[in-house]
Amino acid sequence: MALAVYCHAQETFPRNGAYDERTGRYAFTNATIVVDPKTTIENATLLIEDGVIRETGKQVKIPAGTVTIDLKGKFIYASLIELDSDYGMPEVRRAQGGGGRQTPQLESNKKGAFGWNQAIQPEMDASILFTPDAQKAADLRKIGFGTLLVHAHDGIVRGNGALVTLTGELANKAILNSKASAHFSFSKGSSSQTYPSSGMGVVALLRQNYYDADWYAKGGKQKETNFSLEAFNQIKGLPSFFEANDKYSILRADKIGDEFGIQYIIRGGGDEYQRIREIKETKATLLLPLVFPDAYDVSDPWDAEVVTMSQLKHWELAPRNASEVAKAEIPFALTTSGLKNKSDFWKNLRTAIEYGLPKERALAALTTLPASLVKADNKIGSLKPGMLANFIITSGDLFSKDNVIHENWVLGKKFVLTALDAPDVRGTYSLSLNNQPAGKLQITGSPEKPEYKIVVQDSIKITPKATLANALLTLTYQQDKKTGGTTRLTGWLSGNGFMGEGVLPNGTVIPWSAVLTEKNATIAAADTAKPKSKETGPIVYPFVGYGNETLPARETVLIKNATIWTNEKEGILQNADVIVQNGKITKVGKGLTVPSGGRTIDGTGKHLTSGIIDEHSHIALFSINEGGQSSSAEVRMSDVVNPDDINIYRQLAGGVTASHLLHGSANSIGGQSAMIKLKWGASQSEMVVPEVKTIKFALGENVKQSNWGDVQRVRFPQTRMGVEQIYFDHFLRARDYATRWKNYNANAKKQNIVPPRRDIELDALAEILGNERFITCHSYVQSEINMLMHVADSLKFRINTFTHILEGYKLADGMQKRGIGGSTFADWWAYKMEVKEAIPYNAALMYHEGVTVAINSDDAEMARRLNQEAAKTVEYGGVPEEEAWKMVTLNPAKLLHVEDRMGSVKAGKDADLVLWNASPLSVYSRPDFTMVEGTIYFDRKKDEEKQKSMLIERERLIQKMLGEKVEGKPTQKPEATMPRMWHCEDIVGIHAEHIHVGYETGK
Amino acid sequence: MKRYKLIAGLLLGLTTGVQAQNPAPAKPQTKPIVLTGATIHIGNGEVVQNGTIAFDKGIITQVGVAGTVTAPAGAETIDVKGKHIFPGIISLNTTVGLQEIASVRATLDYREVGEINPHVRALVAYNTDSEVIPTLRGNGVLVSQAVPQGGAISGSSSVFYSDGWNWEDAVLKKDDGIWISWPPFLAGTFDNETFTYTIKRNDKRQETIDLFKQTFAEARAYAEIANPSPVNLRLAAMKPLFDGTTNLYIRADYAKDIIESIRFAKEAGVKKIVIAGGNESYKVTTFLKENDVPVIVNTTHRLPDGVDENVYMPYELPGLLHKAGVKVAVTYADEWWRTRNLGFLAGTASGFGNVTPEEALQFVTRNAADIIGAGQQVGTLEKGKQASLLVSDGDILDMRGNVVQMVFIRGGKVNLDDKQKRLYNKYKEKYKTK
Repeated sequence: MALAVYCHAQETFPRNGAYDERTGRYAFTNATIVVDPKTTIENATLLIEDGVIRETGKQVKIPAGTVTIDLKGKFIYASLIELDSDYGMPEVRRAQGGGGRQTPQLESNKKGAFGWNQAIQPEMDASILFTPDAQKAADLRKIGFGTLLVHAHDGIVRGNGALVTLTGELANKAILNSKASAHFSFSKGSSSQTYPSSGMGVVALLRQNYYDADWYAKGGKQKETNFSLEAFNQIKGLPSFFEANDKYSILRADKIGDEFGIQYIIRGGGDEYQRIREIKETKATLLLPLVFPDAYDVSDPWDAEVVTMSQLKHWELAPRNASEVAKAEIPFALTTSGLKNKSDFWKNLRTAIEYGLPKERALAALTTLPASLVKADNKIGSLKPGMLANFIITSGDLFSKDNVIHENWVLGKKFVLTALDAPDVRGTYSLSLNNQPAGKLQITGSPEKPEYKIVVQDSIKITPKATLANALLTLTYQQDKKTGGTTRLTGWLSGNGFMGEGVLPNGTVIPWSAVLTEKNATIAAADTAKPKSKETGPIVYPFVGYGNETLPARETVLIKNATIWTNEKEGILQNADVIVQNGKITKVGKGLTVPSGGRTIDGTGKHLTSGIIDEHSHIALFSINEGGQSSSAEVRMSDVVNPDDINIYRQLAGGVTASHLLHGSANSIGGQSAMIKLKWGASQSEMVVPEVKTIKFALGENVKQSNWGDVQRVRFPQTRMGVEQIYFDHFLRARDYATRWKNYNANAKKQNIVPPRRDIELDALAEILGNERFITCHSYVQSEINMLMHVADSLKFRINTFTHILEGYKLADGMQKRGIGGSTFADWWAYKMEVKEAIPYNAALMYHEGVTVAINSDDAEMARRLNQEAAKTVEYGGVPEEEAWKMVTLNPAKLLHVEDRMGSVKAGKDADLVLWNASPLSVYSRPDFTMVEGTIYFDRKKDEEKQKSMLIERERLIQKMLGEKVEGKPTQKPEATMPRMWHCEDIVGIHAEHIHVGYETGK
Repeated sequence: MKRYKLIAGLLLGLTTGVQAQNPAPAKPQTKPIVLTGATIHIGNGEVVQNGTIAFDKGIITQVGVAGTVTAPAGAETIDVKGKHIFPGIISLNTTVGLQEIASVRATLDYREVGEINPHVRALVAYNTDSEVIPTLRGNGVLVSQAVPQGGAISGSSSVFYSDGWNWEDAVLKKDDGIWISWPPFLAGTFDNETFTYTIKRNDKRQETIDLFKQTFAEARAYAEIANPSPVNLRLAAMKPLFDGTTNLYIRADYAKDIIESIRFAKEAGVKKIVIAGGNESYKVTTFLKENDVPVIVNTTHRLPDGVDENVYMPYELPGLLHKAGVKVAVTYADEWWRTRNLGFLAGTASGFGNVTPEEALQFVTRNAADIIGAGQQVGTLEKGKQASLLVSDGDILDMRGNVVQMVFIRGGKVNLDDKQKRLYNKYKEKYKTK
């Protein structure tokens, strides 16, 4: 490739030797020209000159001095465009990370007047970093690419991308647009800085960055010089690409874009089909990779069990993804990124087409659409006059299985991949070695890709290694596998066959020849395997074994003759009925009749209650702790909700209908919590209860990092003394912040002054001061609890709930006086110093003092039997049974300010109901069904049926995989990857040295 | 709301004043005791309504329906009408007495360094002054097995009563078995980048299996020598495995591990084998039954093993084994303070599995006693066994019923005070006097 035929040398560059400027005028005649996915012209001519297309069509006048190439039978397409490339970019060294073994790095180590966080690098300019790489360019041209959008894949804000061609020349020539795009991701890349250490921290950092850039533009630059913000403002308006890599990250990215009026173009992960409705709602254009997992080796049934249904199903459905995205009318471009082996691109694309991706969409996804996404559709992506001469010449339809790309022209410069003038040597030849008959040589396949076979005595078939180039042929083969010697033949096309010289394994030099006996022998190809069915199993929601093909529907139901724990003044009603309509409880009473269209459920001998509300949960989350700073009030757990978490289903099976998802306890001021209803299969936004505005605080050993090892002695605070000052500092600043905004907003001439800097951390704290956001504070010992109550008193904010509150019994009077609730464990203690004085009578003592008490789990396992935990308050301290039951239902609803909707069986409230086969406080009790807003999401009988149908579906997939193995396709060893189970104390990058059962749970 | 329901006033007169230490252990039984009018859960499936139980010198002398039992001369008769009497709960596979505060290294005595530690003994590290122990007997856990953890061969366990001046007099069974950890068939690796676990075939396990093979072969040979010199403490400690005097406890969860490890132990000449863990033991019940190997199931209050597993599988597991004819005990694994909830694991096994509460009770009493080879002393309330029992307001497998009023260990009446009750009483005073 180094020997370019001619050069569009740079005007300003001196030359070594004589100038060699040429017109580069070529006419390609008699070709099938696919001008764009919708326009194909047969027998047409393409005329190019000086790297640009002059004319395309049937009636093209070819000027004198044009090199004319006859392309009869061949096709011309615009060359392909890749939008997610790191071609020519410096290699990114990932930060040595994880394990919590290194000292926290709180500040950026980047030199210069840049922003505070290393992962925000808007100043990174791909066009300056760009250095063409001849080998990689050749590999990409081989696939058919002509133009790439390149950017440095490093950090959360990755600066601007550059649109470059694969000319094989200097960057000066290759770059089409040096500021083509802006790039974002959720990955910190090479940043060694501690913050952000979580998914929601990344979102918060990016949001804050948008606000900071806005402030900078509006006058902040008068206060500080910040090249990062300056650069950010410059790239902000460019087409913006977000690397998301999975379905929920796509939704998360789009939500950020919505806040700032930006529609990102989002790179997905190939699992979009699993949440196609929600992804379509984003209105985002996607970049789709074509990455399909190999089959698992499932021959051993016990080994195979580790592979989950979702892995099995994704293996089957991944090739259907692009087709599903196309069917949903979601605009998308295709990308090779994510492929371990880029040469798999065509194989996978053809598979996607077999699974229903229309060819026209595929072509558009590689040409016109990416061109328009980078606003270059006036230059690339189609073959209209005036466009760049970036095209490929193919042997046939681009997507057909035996298509060959002959040439890839970039800016009017030719790169040969497979010679156009390859002779057609297909046929059967009689082979002779040393003038002795030696069997037959059969050449099949296509003229461009001939396939060779030597047949000896009609039975032994040998596939030699063969190369044919410029009429020279080389064949090497082992005549006899046992003796193992290799025969080497070299020769040339000669009349009706080949002749030349060979060397036998013993070193004897011999003449050889192959004489054509039958031209174009149509020897039965090995393609006898019948085309495999492209049928797949159903897509289920959520995409795990226990997911549903169709989501359960909201019902109209009469539950008759049950023992109803109302949690209201009526107490426990015997032989009573409840009517559920439109997701609400509409009637509670006796002798009720079923509304029309409804069904009756017999509750005889059963107990009906409102659903359990877990006040302290970490299920259904992708990450838990933003431990990078002592306050992370800016992060939102709603950004990292994982609707696929099996624990949602497991907890429904334990009677839980809602969970309060908290940030961890890594820092004094944690993040904004999210309350979800356990609507198994629904989307994130359908699950989250938006009116619950809460935030996690934490005290004690975790926030002072007592148990994280000796390297964690950097971040303030390290003592309970320091914790108090964190609160004073942050709330004083928040108060001041709120005042500044109030003054600004009241100022009649505010257009003329610099607005205060929007700070999303202080926003959350100001909401607390304004009594709009409620604190749940992780707490253990009385000194620190007392401290926070006093801080709150003096700064006039309210603490809503102390959670864990294992020494609440020591200060129950103080809590009661201030109206602070206590959400505790039934009986946990002894796993660390600060729980030494925890007692199981805690709930009873707080209850008797008039505190609103909840029993919570902080644990995916305990949450599914919170009814048992509540019952322990009867054992320890004699709480009346009805009151004990309220501790997992009505009381958490009160603490979350949703008692008007949840927590009791009362007309008008949400129909979040559980039917138990015995008293809910009995150890022998279990739910018959669990209903959320009128929809039954867990039903014991259906669960049993589901287990059976899962076995059948699993076996079907396993049989299909075994088929792949028999066919010799690559397989991978069985393995499963699953998100970590979260507890309060789990810190990204921090592992306690002495993780141990009780301790690890971090309560 | 200022109502206080005393725990039936039986807080042993300690409602005032705060005692800093655990109470003194029970005095030996000096006269016969007769408990009358209770529902007696024998522990073998039988229930005696309106029953009477008599014991003397620490041994049960009579059990039966009231009226059929005659009080011996000089007996103290206690009316426990309406109450329930149960054999003491036996908690196997714990670190009770070996750890106090998990996050404080100085209080941890259950894990020795090295891979081959058959010679280290839980016996001598067992701390009878642990503040956790009194809270266990308060919930009916009267016997705990303290088990060394870690390494390939962790050490030797001993079984203790939840009462005693020191390990010497608290011990029920010394050095009852050696614990090994079979290398798991599948192993997890943690990726800090994505914060996910990947579980796959454990390629490094053969090394450990070979180590076991060699060690057991050499230990067996060593056991044949009458007076070995020099003495090898490690191999000497393994000798009782080969004559059937102690158990070999094998920690194994996967079906393949269970089969492989039992076959290994049999071939190595081990006489008594117990599987501890056994998450997948329900898949190999035929094999377990054929080989007469019992299973100590680790805490069933755990999540299922995989996302596709039956959500109730851990709860159902003990019942599945029991119904298949495999002897099963339920435990909390290496936990300590949580073992006071052991009765509730059995209750859950009944509520979610196909077994009655009386069957489930055996998972934490009789079966556990049989497994440790103490079936003649504890585990049921049959004549001739030790009077290690409790009186409860109700069903001890249910949280609401587990209100323990009296505990007798070897006939001695145990003081049920503990640190948590003292704190409870202290703060009740605070609010009463306000």
